[in-house]
Amino acid sequence: MVPYVAVAITAVILSLVPLWIGDSRTLTGVAVSGLLFACYATAFNLIFGSTDQLFLAVGALAGVGAYTSAITSDRLSLPLPLTIILGMIVAMIISGLFSWIAVRRSLGIIFTGIVTLTFSLAFDNLLLGQRSLTGGETGMVIDAGKGAFFRGQIPPYYVFLTLLIGFLLAYVAIHRSRMGWAFRALRDDQLSAELSGVNVAKYRIYAGAIGGAMLGLSGALWAHVEGFISPATFTFVHVDVQVLVMLVFGGIGTLLGPVVGSAFFTYLGEVLASFSQLRLIVEGVLLIVLFLALPQGVVGAIVIGITRLRERRKGLP
Amino acid sequence: MTAAILDGLVLGLQFGLLGVGLTIVYGMGGVLNLAYGAMAVASAIVVSVAMRSGLPAVPAVALGILTGAALSLLLNVTIMRPVYRRRGDQRVLLSILLTIGVAFIINGYLVWKLPIEALSLSIGGDAISILGVPMRVGSLLASAITILAGVGLILFFRRTTAGKAVRSVIQDEVGARLCGINPASVRMLIFTLSGAIAGLVAVTRSMTSPVPVSEGFSLTILALLVTVVGGLGSVKGAMLAGLILGVVNALSSFYIGSYITTIVLLVAAALTILLRPSGLFGEYT
Repeated sequence: MVPYVAVAITAVILSLVPLWIGDSRTLTGVAVSGLLFACYATAFNLIFGSTDQLFLAVGALAGVGAYTSAITSDRLSLPLPLTIILGMIVAMIISGLFSWIAVRRSLGIIFTGIVTLTFSLAFDNLLLGQRSLTGGETGMVIDAGKGAFFRGQIPPYYVFLTLLIGFLLAYVAIHRSRMGWAFRALRDDQLSAELSGVNVAKYRIYAGAIGGAMLGLSGALWAHVEGFISPATFTFVHVDVQVLVMLVFGGIGTLLGPVVGSAFFTYLGEVLASFSQLRLIVEGVLLIVLFLALPQGVVGAIVIGITRLRERRKGLP
Repeated sequence: MTAAILDGLVLGLQFGLLGVGLTIVYGMGGVLNLAYGAMAVASAIVVSVAMRSGLPAVPAVALGILTGAALSLLLNVTIMRPVYRRRGDQRVLLSILLTIGVAFIINGYLVWKLPIEALSLSIGGDAISILGVPMRVGSLLASAITILAGVGLILFFRRTTAGKAVRSVIQDEVGARLCGINPASVRMLIFTLSGAIAGLVAVTRSMTSPVPVSEGFSLTILALLVTVVGGLGSVKGAMLAGLILGVVNALSSFYIGSYITTIVLLVAAALTILLRPSGLFGEYT
C-alpha cells in the first residue's frame, strides 16, 4: 500500500504548486517543463533503473514522438489523439528495437549507452537536415491544437501532472507484478535470474518498449501543448544529461527519485537563472559533491534511513 | 577522390590521437573521462590567450599542453579517487557522472570568462603538392606532429619499462600488482599523458580549423566514438579507427555532402560496435 500512498501524496503536493507560483506565465512554463522532465526521468528510471539498460536517447525518443505526432497532424491532417498515439507507438517500437539489439548482441552498460547515443546524435542531425519536413533549426509551429483548452496557461500544468501521476502508478503496478519480480531478479544477478527461469531478454525488451512508449507519449503531448518544437528541445545535452543527473540525484531505481531530482534541478535552475553564466559551474560543483556524498540519491538515502530505523525499533541487528 | 582521401587521412590522424588519449584511460582503470574534450578546449584557449598576450607560438603551445596534463593530473588525484574504490559497472557509471560535472565546470568557466575566444594557428607558406593534390602546410605540419606523437606513444608502450608496466596493468591489474607494479602511480602517469594528448590534439586541430570554446562536447563524443570503434583500451585500434572514420567522413562529405556525412559517420560507428563489440583490435593492446 505504501507506494500508492506516496504517489497520492506527491499528486496532492504537486497539484498545489500553481497556487504557490501564482499568475506568472514564465514560472508556470518552468513548472510545466519540470513536470515534463519528471516524466522523462520516470521513463528512464524504468529502463535504466529497473533493467540496467543505459539508454542515452531519452531526448531523441521523446523527439521521435513529438515530430511523428506534429508531422502527421499538420501535414497529413490526421486527428490529434490518433497522432499522439502514433508518436507513442513509433517511439515504443524504436526503443524496443534498441533493447532487442542490446540483448541479442549482449551489449554491456557502456555499449548500450554508446549505440543509443549515436542514435541521438544522428536523429538530431536528421532533424536539422530535413528542413522541408521539420523546419530545421528554426523548428516548427504546430497548428493542429490551436485554440484548444490545453494551450492555455494553467491547463498544461495539469495535463503533465496527470501524465506524471499516470507514469508513477504504472511504475508501481509494474513493480508489483510478475514483471517487477523479474526486474529485481535480473538486477541483482543476471545469471542466477536466468538460471531460475527468468527470461531476462524478454523483460529487458518489455522495459525498453514501455519506457519508450512513455517517452514518445510525453514528447507528443509536449509538441501539442507547447505548439512549437525545435531540435534543441530534444538534444542529448539538453535532455539526456539533465535526466541522468536528475535521476541519479533523486535515486536510481526508486519510485519518487525522478520526481525529487527534477523538482530540485528545476528549482535550482530558476534560482540561478539570474546568474545564468554561473549556472553551469554551480551545477557542475553540485553534481560532484552530491554524487560523492549521496551515491544512492536523496530518496535512496531516505529509504535506507527509514529501513534502519525500523529494524532498530524491532530490535533486529 | 585522392584529395578527399588525403583530407580524410589528415582528419583521421587527429581523430586517432584524440581517441588514444581517451582509450588509454579507459584501458587503465575502466573509467571514462567525459571531461576530456573540455580539457582539450581549455588547453587550446590557454594557448590562444598566451599568444594574444605576446608569448611566441612554441612556448605558448608548450604551456597549453602542460595545462592539459595538469588538469588531468588534478582530476586523477582528486575526484577520481573515490571512483577507483568502486568495481565494474559502478566504477564506469560514477566516473561518467563525476566527469560530466567536471566538464560542466570547465565549460561553464570558459563560456563565462572568454565566450568568443577560439584558437586557430595559421601556418604560412605555399601549398605543397602531394600525389598531385595541393595540401596546406598547416595540414601537413599537423599530420607530421600527430604521426610523431603516435609513433612516440607506441614506442613508449613497447620499449620502455614504464610503458610495459602500463600495458601489464591494462592486461591484468592483480597480476601487475603481484609483479611489484603500483597501479596507482601507473594510473597517474596515464592520466597525465592523456591530458597532454588532449592538449596536443587541440593544438594540431587548430592548425586546420579553429577550436572555439564550445567545441568541448563534440570533441568528447568524437573521442568516444573513435575509442569504441577501435576497441576500448587499444592504442593501435584507436589510431586505425580514427583513420577509418576520418576517411569515411571525408569521402561521404565529398560524394554525399551536407548533414548526411555526420549520420554516415555515426552509423559506421554504431555498426562497428554491433558487428564487433570488442572493437577492431579488441583483444590486443
